[in-house]
Amino acid sequence: MNYIRKTLNSTASLALVGGLSFALAPAAFAQEATFVIASSAVGAPSYYPVKATMLNVSNYLIYDRLIEQDEKQQFHPHLAESWDAAPDGMSWVFKLRQGVKFHDGEPFNAQTIVDWLALFQGTENQFMIDAIDKIEMVDDHTVKLLMKQPDPNLLFNFSSSFMGVPSPKAVKELGDDYGITTAVGTGPYKLESFAVGQETVLTRNDDYTWGSELSQNQGPAKIQTLTMREIPEQSTAFLELKTGGIDLLYDVPTDFLPQIKATPNLETLSLPGLVVMYMPINTSVEPFTDVRVREATALAVNQKEILDNIYKGVGAEAHNFLISSLAEANVDPKYNISYDPAKANTLLDEAGWTMGPDGVRQKDGKPLSVTLWTQGDTEFKRVSEAVQAQLKAIGMQAEITVYDSSTIRDLYKKNQHQLAVRSYDWANADILDWFFSGKRLGYPNISMWNDPKSEELNQKAMTGSRTWEERVANFKTYHEHILSQWLFAPIYQPVQNISYNKDKLRVPAEIRGPGLRGQTILDMEVME
Amino acid sequence: MLGFAAKRLLLLLPVFFAVSLIIFLIVHLVPGDPIDNLIRIGATPQQRAELAAKYGLDKPLFEQYFLWLANLFKGDLGDAIVVRRPVATLIAQNLPYSLTLGSLALLFSTFVGVSAGATAAVHRDSLVDRGIMGLVLLGSTIPGFWIGLLLILAFAVQLGWFPVSGARGWSSLVLPVLTIGLGGTALIARVTRVAMIDISQKDFILLLHAKGLPNWRIQIFHILRHALIPVITVLALRIGWILGGAVTVEFVFARPGLGTLLIKALNQRDYPLVQGCLLMLAIAVMLGTLIGDLLQAAMDPRSRDALKS
Repeated sequence: MNYIRKTLNSTASLALVGGLSFALAPAAFAQEATFVIASSAVGAPSYYPVKATMLNVSNYLIYDRLIEQDEKQQFHPHLAESWDAAPDGMSWVFKLRQGVKFHDGEPFNAQTIVDWLALFQGTENQFMIDAIDKIEMVDDHTVKLLMKQPDPNLLFNFSSSFMGVPSPKAVKELGDDYGITTAVGTGPYKLESFAVGQETVLTRNDDYTWGSELSQNQGPAKIQTLTMREIPEQSTAFLELKTGGIDLLYDVPTDFLPQIKATPNLETLSLPGLVVMYMPINTSVEPFTDVRVREATALAVNQKEILDNIYKGVGAEAHNFLISSLAEANVDPKYNISYDPAKANTLLDEAGWTMGPDGVRQKDGKPLSVTLWTQGDTEFKRVSEAVQAQLKAIGMQAEITVYDSSTIRDLYKKNQHQLAVRSYDWANADILDWFFSGKRLGYPNISMWNDPKSEELNQKAMTGSRTWEERVANFKTYHEHILSQWLFAPIYQPVQNISYNKDKLRVPAEIRGPGLRGQTILDMEVME
Repeated sequence: MLGFAAKRLLLLLPVFFAVSLIIFLIVHLVPGDPIDNLIRIGATPQQRAELAAKYGLDKPLFEQYFLWLANLFKGDLGDAIVVRRPVATLIAQNLPYSLTLGSLALLFSTFVGVSAGATAAVHRDSLVDRGIMGLVLLGSTIPGFWIGLLLILAFAVQLGWFPVSGARGWSSLVLPVLTIGLGGTALIARVTRVAMIDISQKDFILLLHAKGLPNWRIQIFHILRHALIPVITVLALRIGWILGGAVTVEFVFARPGLGTLLIKALNQRDYPLVQGCLLMLAIAVMLGTLIGDLLQAAMDPRSRDALKS
């Protein structure tokens, strides 16, 4: 039935657009698949990574990067076959892979790197290469980067989607239209068509033979045509998967998992998440100027209860600020923040907040009443209600106010908040700088934290590391200091749920990467 | 008639200015700004300030308004800040989808609404009348997105007759058209019913009955014909409503269109794009009102005199 319906639909569209006959429609199942991208990535406006501030998963398929990351955030060679950093971190030598060609036939070589990095000047993403002073071409496939200061995070930046390598020639030729009408990379798929907010159609790059070591298949990809649809409403996307309208759905909400389990032809992959949900505490307003009240507030949050009751055990408890796959998350256990209501009550007693007859603590005649801001999504509201009940248990009355995501950011800047339930999505320890640096008070530094010791540790972690190992150690120290000041309560780490039609798609059991990206999609195939 | 039309058109000018100012103020006074959606983790506060300056958001509000208005009169709606395309291009790409959906929904609600209203009027105060009006009322009170989801569950998930979402061919239009159309049926049905009952009590209808004309002929060619004057006025007024009403429905059905564009732009506080979309909706409402006035004036000279005065 679905097959017939799909065939009729595709036939109707074809006939409408190109006037083709009905008889041309069959054979559509040959290595063609339709995916729906994560709802959080809907509306990404272009496929020009140099200037983009939002990209979706198709970008990983159009472009290759110099370096790839695996699911443990470790770095692997790709367009860069190898790299070496000087012991003082002031220079890097990258050896580039040979025989790589862009979709337009242009060769990938050292000149490409020089031209590509020059494109970043004056863009929103310039900060990613700010530490580079000069680029030297050693030979046709070797470049040397001379640094203004050491930046071991260059490895992370080079593995970022924003550093997918476009053809500098195509960028120059197309100007402002680049990334909108055409995008030319070296990736396993070519951009066939792109309707922002609707769908991207990708066709296989038949010349591709340079997959990274994270793929079993080095190329070309097995699936010939990939349609990446954008569906903002998650219920609609789920129903499309259930009815066979699509073959794979990124970012499946936990609520839908029981229904997916009950559907025989659907399978779900759970990958480690890149998101942390937490409750920032505004340290600049009463009663949270008192570190004991901050500590009590953080200790009142019962991570396990939220994981079990709201997320039905899917995901993980969060006990510090970073996703658990980062080495910097592995802090001394004494700094991890865990539920301890007895200690929370003792701390509030010590701070002079005595329990009132109505179950709300008081001090100098004032009740321990605070505001708890959250976003409109159902998930945030549920977690906020759970946190509200947990705070009530230690005698703190929290009043929930719901805002949309743009409004709430603006209100943070006005410093009218006390507590908030929010989340971030990032796989690098420099998120600590983003949310706790004294340079960014209000938003993103919602905790309004600004003290000399933190700034010193921040500076050392951000710019004072010569090697990746040194950077990890510096960030770990900074992370531990942040934790010791009780600036937030960690709540939850979700997993990435990806559901697919197992009767149609063959998906590797092991996902090799921080998400379902090019390295795994290369190994996927449509079963005839 | 031409003079009347010109006068009505001129009257729209102050309305347009007022609407443009209201739209601009609403968009800019709501908390949040597009720059937060442009900067990435790692960007410096200085880069944020540079971006605000680049898009003119550091200028006083009145200056920003007059710049926008001046460009508007040059036919330039500006560039979307987050989506980074000309607003006019984005609207031109999306408007045909909304117009198709809106027109079909208007046709559907007109056909069903007039039929239901006429049937109810003919069977006034009977069980049929109450049943029809009850059903129509129910359809109009359920929110569009909810009807949409129910229709998806019934006709796409259970029966598999139509696709769940998207804009691929005519089959993907059926459920969204039904969703919007059902919501608009009630008003048309009620207006038709009331107008027909009103006309049926006129002396000339009694005369036609006395002359022995068949009832069906009187109902269709005399009562319904006269009753359609207020219906047509209501339909014209609904042109703008139909475009605006499609906003949530486009979102639920993941269809391209002005609504989908507007929701995304609102979430990202993409000022020029929100202003452009809202202006389009406002123009649609103004044109609808104008068409309604003109049609009414053409059909009923008494109303033209009333409007003139």
